[in-house]
Amino acid sequence: MSDLLTAFEIPEHLHASSPIERRGLDRDQVRMMLLDPVSGRRAHTNFRNIVDTFQAGDVLVLNQSRTIPSSLQASGTNGEVEVRLARKIDDHRFEVLLVGKQYKEGEKLYFQDGLFAVVEKGGSEYPLQVLKFKLSGMSLIEYIYDHGSPIYYEYVEDPWPLNDYQNVYSSTPGSIEMASAGRAFTWGTITELEQKGVKICYITLHTSLSYYENDRWPSPSSHPEPYTIPQETVTVINKAKQEGRQVAAVGTTVVRALESAFKNGQLTKQDSVLTYLYINQEHSLKVVDALLTGFHEPEASHLDLLTAFVKHEILIEAYHEAIEQQYLWHEFGDMNLIIPGRL
Amino acid sequence: MSKTIMITGGSKGLGRALALGFAKQRHRIAVCARGERELKAVQKEIEAIGAEVIALQADVSRIHEIEKFVSVVEDKFGSVDVLINNASVFGPGPKQLLDYDHEQFLQVLKVNCMNPFLVTKRVLPGMIANRSGSIINLTSEAGHTGFAEWGAYGVSKFAVEGLTQTWADEVADYSIRINMVDPGEMDTDMHDRAVPDCDYQLAKPEERLDVFFYLASDESRNRNGERFEADGFLREAPLNE
Repeated sequence: MSDLLTAFEIPEHLHASSPIERRGLDRDQVRMMLLDPVSGRRAHTNFRNIVDTFQAGDVLVLNQSRTIPSSLQASGTNGEVEVRLARKIDDHRFEVLLVGKQYKEGEKLYFQDGLFAVVEKGGSEYPLQVLKFKLSGMSLIEYIYDHGSPIYYEYVEDPWPLNDYQNVYSSTPGSIEMASAGRAFTWGTITELEQKGVKICYITLHTSLSYYENDRWPSPSSHPEPYTIPQETVTVINKAKQEGRQVAAVGTTVVRALESAFKNGQLTKQDSVLTYLYINQEHSLKVVDALLTGFHEPEASHLDLLTAFVKHEILIEAYHEAIEQQYLWHEFGDMNLIIPGRL
Repeated sequence: MSKTIMITGGSKGLGRALALGFAKQRHRIAVCARGERELKAVQKEIEAIGAEVIALQADVSRIHEIEKFVSVVEDKFGSVDVLINNASVFGPGPKQLLDYDHEQFLQVLKVNCMNPFLVTKRVLPGMIANRSGSIINLTSEAGHTGFAEWGAYGVSKFAVEGLTQTWADEVADYSIRINMVDPGEMDTDMHDRAVPDCDYQLAKPEERLDVFFYLASDESRNRNGERFEADGFLREAPLNE
């Protein structure tokens, strides 16, 4: 876990509690801090100006995974329980977090409309558990869409609909939580970037849970997430690297996928494989040069990942400034573009 | 090559004929409709042909039902290659606009105009990421000529034509095409409603499929933002090539 833990605290009013559209603005009107990871220089702007930061030939990589409604209600011998899906294992099984509770192996959980599931075993790490559902395949997915909702953390003001937890470019369903670094993009922004000559390409990484409640956080090395990198993306990025262009990841999920798929000196195609890669300051980045991301809690492993891009001291200074400048945190919050040589 | 063909309103009339027609070509079929009984009957017919099918009850004027339908299809089939926005209603009538109830007017617009907007919005990102896809919207002669007593239906089809052209212009750079088809008069429940006591011969929906096969195929990859008439398409198509 990060030794950044006690380095800063986020004031209550900086937890973004609603999507910016609910405040009458557009997605791309969130604020953005530019940070040069080498010099530590910073600039404060609006996300809409992101087009000015990129140059023709740069590559911007988006995670096209779409958020599924991952929170279900059930009851069992320990009473009512919120079941948060963490990862699909196979047609019948999900790794889940039973919020605030642990059930014994063999115990049953009962959902609405007659669905039940059996606790099979522990998950990839405590407190996750594996549930085997009575339904499977398409029927189970349909059930989840009929009865599930997005996962709501305590800083969220209202139960916003699933659509608020999607990026405009997201397509392949499977993420437990929104891959939120891309939330500020509009098609207008993407079109402007492409017209400027920036290459847009896609990967898919289905996010797992980012928080286990009660001050417990996933341990990145025990946190499998499935990802796919299509050939077209591989070709574009390998060519860009050969030409010395910048490759920018939109979100830590993209960094995890791309760095996991770097083998024998180049990016390689992947199809629905699990990554366990833990990226921190020890990790030497092979593919990604720049990162667009939100602002992360001090305990989150995302922050460890950021230290692969920027030294602790610079990051902490930048985060202190972000707090002074009243940037908003979390999935509905403001953005931070860590990019070398463009300030 | 086998493609995933998504058809809204696929349980009867032209939607059913399209589902069966594409199934015979061994494409993967995804159909939705509001009526479960008719939908399940179509599902069985497609399975009997030997094609893969997802048939899901959904009202595509509702955003969460669209999310479920498209997500289930993407989860199972991986992508949507062709979307046919077929679902529509005639609404009350024939009836003059002065006699039209405003709530019913809104409902027809919601079903006929909002649904192709919402389904397309949900499906397009996947097509853009794949740099490939074909979307076909259903229009009507009433979509560019106002006919007395066709009420909100005609108005909604004007909107569909505008929607098609606008979107076609916006996606032109992504190797995606969005076109529209006027299937012409056919022997369907909707036609019975729009033209009661019809006293002339009508085509069967099965006779109007060629233009859809063409727009779903790679042959039509350079056709975007166009309006096609299904009646006589085979005769006219070579002249346009």
